[in-house]
Amino acid sequence: MRIDPPVRIRFILLAALAALFLGSLFVWSGVYSVAASRGHFAVTEWLLTFGMRNSVKTHALGIDAPPLDNSDLVTLGAAHFQSGCAYCHGAPGIPISPIAQAMLPPPPDLATNMPPWRDRELFWIIKHGIKYTAMPAWPVQQRDDEVWALVAFLRRLPSLDAAQYRDLALGGLRVPPQSGESLATSETTARAIGACARCHGAGGARPASSLVPVLHGQRAEFIVASLEAFTSAQRASGIMQPVARALTGDDFRRVADYYAALQAPHAPEEPTDTSAIERGRDLAEQGDPDARIPACAGCHGEDALKTYPRLAGQNLPYMLNRLRLWKRGLAPGTATETIMAPIARELSERQIEDVAAYYASGGPSAGASR
Amino acid sequence: MNGILQSVLAPHGPQAGQIATLAWALFAFGSLVLGLVIAAIWLAMRGAPRIREVLARERTIILLGLALPVAALTILLACGAWLTRAQTGHADEALRIEVTGQQWWWRVVYDGPAPIVSSNEIRIPVGQPVDFTLKAADVIHSFWVPSLGGKIDMIPGRTTRLRLTAERAGVYRGQCAEYCGGPHALMSFKLIAMPRHEYDAWLERLAGPQSAPSTDNEQRGQLLFLAAGCGTCHAVRGTDAAGKIGPDLTHFASRGSVGIDTLPLTAENLDRFIRDGQHIKPGNRMPEFRIFSSAEQTALVSYLMSLQ
Repeated sequence: MRIDPPVRIRFILLAALAALFLGSLFVWSGVYSVAASRGHFAVTEWLLTFGMRNSVKTHALGIDAPPLDNSDLVTLGAAHFQSGCAYCHGAPGIPISPIAQAMLPPPPDLATNMPPWRDRELFWIIKHGIKYTAMPAWPVQQRDDEVWALVAFLRRLPSLDAAQYRDLALGGLRVPPQSGESLATSETTARAIGACARCHGAGGARPASSLVPVLHGQRAEFIVASLEAFTSAQRASGIMQPVARALTGDDFRRVADYYAALQAPHAPEEPTDTSAIERGRDLAEQGDPDARIPACAGCHGEDALKTYPRLAGQNLPYMLNRLRLWKRGLAPGTATETIMAPIARELSERQIEDVAAYYASGGPSAGASR
Repeated sequence: MNGILQSVLAPHGPQAGQIATLAWALFAFGSLVLGLVIAAIWLAMRGAPRIREVLARERTIILLGLALPVAALTILLACGAWLTRAQTGHADEALRIEVTGQQWWWRVVYDGPAPIVSSNEIRIPVGQPVDFTLKAADVIHSFWVPSLGGKIDMIPGRTTRLRLTAERAGVYRGQCAEYCGGPHALMSFKLIAMPRHEYDAWLERLAGPQSAPSTDNEQRGQLLFLAAGCGTCHAVRGTDAAGKIGPDLTHFASRGSVGIDTLPLTAENLDRFIRDGQHIKPGNRMPEFRIFSSAEQTALVSYLMSLQ
């Protein structure tokens, strides 16, 4: 039987309109339940998972993973995993919170069941998060170096037992047993304060990861200004911003005074390239006027403003990372970064290595201490 | 003093005068040649048959097409060489000033038993030839004071020379005349010609150290200037600030501008340039310093404004 073409077209149009209307009615009526408690049909779940996996794989195709077998990266990643991820994903010896487990989809327990992602795919997931799940994006999109630290840790995670995990994530910190009364009545800010030492060390201990700056002996004004810059998100760090936000303005001053009063612990003796240190000293003291690089000592010396950091004895990998971040174009967020970033961009890779080696070796005080 | 001058049509020195004379001679001669060509074309199309026949002869073509241009260009070249003979020579009695073009400012060194470093404003005595030694620190710049003389490139790794003489006192505007990057258009300077005795007195003052800040506020400003690292790039003679990367700020407040002739010198403009220099002169090499409280900023500005 042959149907007249105008009739067929009219029928299709009417059917489409009816479908649109019914669909709108369905959404408007609220009959569909968005309850996380109800789960998905098996077919929906399969489809969503299939789409998500392929999306991650496709988007991660162009990413090159740096070498991740690096204990500084692993330790830094572990400390952040403890404060940022363990609540939902668990950790050796730390069960997932039942609250997190009741999400839809429930977050995978990474301690026992790490999905078989490639490094670059883990990186993409951590950096960008996943829509319609509770997986958040990295709070600061310019800090790929931090995301890689977490990937490095996730690679180590399956082989860790509870004690090894505690050592890595808590930086060897021992939380003294509290009395029943203090457990029952104390506020939880203590946890955030403890968070500083987990990465930055305290007392006579240097930071657990050399990618983390030594705060011992820095001016309190500098530490307060840094915490304020992290809180206001002017200074880019997905690791430090949440930590700083957990503190209040009064905490800033107190914790800054604490670190300012500490004596910087000696750096572990490492094989040093004395000629690099000498070149670094020249650059730090004289600058490189032809390349328009001012002397570092002008702003990082003892007489400089208290809001400028002191660099003597600072961790070498931390300084290298920070200078390279600027050189690769990290947009300056704070007032002091606005001054430093253009200078760092003018430094050559060799100058970065030299000057970092010089300050890491003790800087101007090296002659006296060695 | 007259107004600020920047025009090749208003020469105020013998060198600029020679160039202007030459330019007018070229213009007049060019007009004459253009008139001849138009007349010849008209005659070739509309002229009497006899004239057209003369124009078409081989001899006419050799005479007007070869001999005349060769003779005219030779005369003009000789005339030009003779007129501009004093543009680049060095004379012993001439004053010497070295100017180095840098992105995007001018380093000025007055020659003498002890060279005197300054920047962004050049002063010369009236009536005396001044030999400029011109250098470039980074890219090619070009030194041009249109009312006083020709322009000449400043080339990295080479030294070029230029002689200028101002015939009367005044402020002459100079300009970098070779594109040298972002804020090239804001790379100008003032050349101030003053009577000899005033110039001598001024130079003597310039050579002296900076007087120490007098008020509390200025002293606070000086401490901030040193602690904030300003002295790492800028020099103020007589203090610890000895940077060579940016303009020398000794006697800064006796110069008339902020940001290398970008804004007139006022406390408000100076304050803006320190905080917001990348908006005022986009791309300039000085990072913005937004680290000071308003009291600190006021102290710093009053210190800089005291550098008379």
